[in-house]
Amino acid sequence: MEFQLTEEQEFFRQTVADAVDRIIMPKVEDIDEHPDDFPWDVWNEFTSLGYLGLRYPEDVGGMDVDTVTAQLFYQELARASCGFAMAVTMNMLMGTYFLHRFGNEDIINRLMIPAIQGKKIGVICFTEDQSGTDVGATRTSATKVDGGWVINGTKNWITNGPICDFCTVICQTDPSKGARGLDFFLIEKGFEGFSHGQILHKLGAQGPITGELIFDNVFVPEDHFLGDEVGRGAQHLTDILNEVRCMTASQAIGITVTALKDALEYARARKAFGRTIGEYQLIREKFARIAAHLEAAKLMVFRTAWMIDEEKAGRGPNPREEAFLTKWFACEMCMTAVDEVMRIYGGNGFAREYGPQRYFRDARFLLYGGGTQEIIRDFIGGQMVKGKWQPRL
Amino acid sequence: MKVAVLAKEVPDLEAQVKVAGGGTSLDIEKRRVLNFFDEIAVEAALKLKESAGAETYAVSAGAGVDALRRALAMGIPGAFHIEDPALADAGPLTVARALAAFVQKEGFDLVLAGKQATDDEAGLVGPMVAELLGVPCVVGIVSLEASDGSVRVSRHTDTGVEVVDLPLPAVVTAEKGLYEPRVPAVTGVMKAMKAKIEKSSLADLGVEAEPGPKVLGYQPPAKRSAIKMIPGEPAEAASQLVQLLRDEAKAL
Repeated sequence: MEFQLTEEQEFFRQTVADAVDRIIMPKVEDIDEHPDDFPWDVWNEFTSLGYLGLRYPEDVGGMDVDTVTAQLFYQELARASCGFAMAVTMNMLMGTYFLHRFGNEDIINRLMIPAIQGKKIGVICFTEDQSGTDVGATRTSATKVDGGWVINGTKNWITNGPICDFCTVICQTDPSKGARGLDFFLIEKGFEGFSHGQILHKLGAQGPITGELIFDNVFVPEDHFLGDEVGRGAQHLTDILNEVRCMTASQAIGITVTALKDALEYARARKAFGRTIGEYQLIREKFARIAAHLEAAKLMVFRTAWMIDEEKAGRGPNPREEAFLTKWFACEMCMTAVDEVMRIYGGNGFAREYGPQRYFRDARFLLYGGGTQEIIRDFIGGQMVKGKWQPRL
Repeated sequence: MKVAVLAKEVPDLEAQVKVAGGGTSLDIEKRRVLNFFDEIAVEAALKLKESAGAETYAVSAGAGVDALRRALAMGIPGAFHIEDPALADAGPLTVARALAAFVQKEGFDLVLAGKQATDDEAGLVGPMVAELLGVPCVVGIVSLEASDGSVRVSRHTDTGVEVVDLPLPAVVTAEKGLYEPRVPAVTGVMKAMKAKIEKSSLADLGVEAEPGPKVLGYQPPAKRSAIKMIPGEPAEAASQLVQLLRDEAKAL
């Protein structure tokens, strides 16, 4: 068992950190204060460095890095801006995954590769007004017609949906089969009947434009069906969700790292009753608690990421439960840590002029993506009671 | 044109530094980066590579390879590491001899370096290398134009800007403002992660280490006393300030 990054990973982390500090960090407040404007300048500058291809193979211009190394990237990115990190990860992970896996050469060259170069915005659509984590309840439908499919329905909460160039949409192809009747379809901007509706105003995680996408009798050609055989969409989805959950946990770590760093600086400088507040036991206890939980979350993230790689290499089990628990624990950890950091700041924690209120608002968003915190515990507990899973370490 | 960049690995400017061993040594957090001014020199070399097809390489003498990896990530194709236990206690002259011997062997038309390193701030190695190579040197340049067989550089002086035409071969050292160093693209980063860095020792270069100046002791800077802000209207605040300077600080 080894518990340190390789020299190469450490160099990678440091280089990403430097890029983030130079390009994103100076703009984070600006991004937070302008939730209706996508930060195109930061986007163009950052994506031109090529990091969006990180997890794809070299034949499409990617770097083929392992899942552990990818976590370093997600963590460093979220250390600056959770919202910007969401926009980036949508393009580099969920928004392009099914195109890369099932798209033909034209789709790869025209859409997927430009997306990992940051030149096109690609998104994925799950959530509807009556479904989210419960994908089996999806009502957006795909009906087989001559030469393709016709899509009808409305998707909600789509990160970067209103500005996307293309989207991967989960649809019911056989309503009688629930989760076994789901498939993914590629819809491009400009397809007749495809439009965006209301834009959501979020509490935090600013940067991406989030909103509704409407599909009104949208015809898609046969090659825009992203799958192998009809009805296996939900199964393909599980192949990427472990990675998405691990990535979400890494974002929670990134936010916490910055919040903790700020709070330590604040506690060393701010005085109360003749002493710095860092000299009071109740403040010190908070730091120790945050540090312990942060370390635990990091260990879970790196282990789950390692398990994902082991599974891909055919050497280990599917770490579905581990990925769920990692996401749950890291996001709760982050939520508690930013709450404590706000308290360390006293009244200033409530002021827009200081960072903690932003970390607090951002952290809340992580609670829902990749499965709500409530569903996760219900599912894991259920697996345990049914004897289907138990902690493996 | 062949361009050599001298790249020094230094502690990150944000690394924690503490006086240790009762004032006999420094305890520096292990966060190592390419020296700020050397990064500008790397950028200058890359500009020559892109505009004039210059052949470039970076060379570093010292403990680690993080500086070289950074240069590789930015786009310098070759990196060489002079590694020798004797370098740990050696002075700038030994480092300069090693670097000069290396660039002499490898070949160069222009040597680029930072005007100084952000750890010891001595600024000696660049000019020493020039002296050892017997070539002209300009330190702290803020512009650089290459033409056939010469370079035109400029530097800030107390009275204005000095423009110098240098015949090649030559050594120049970079000042802030010469270029804004690029942020490495991921392809460069991956290349740097996988790159094999060729090593040589002082003996390989025929250089003998000489001990450098001996540091007698370290002292942390004196703690600055608390700042007092005087609120209120400027006229009142000024009169209060004068009073404090006279009565409390005894400065008047």
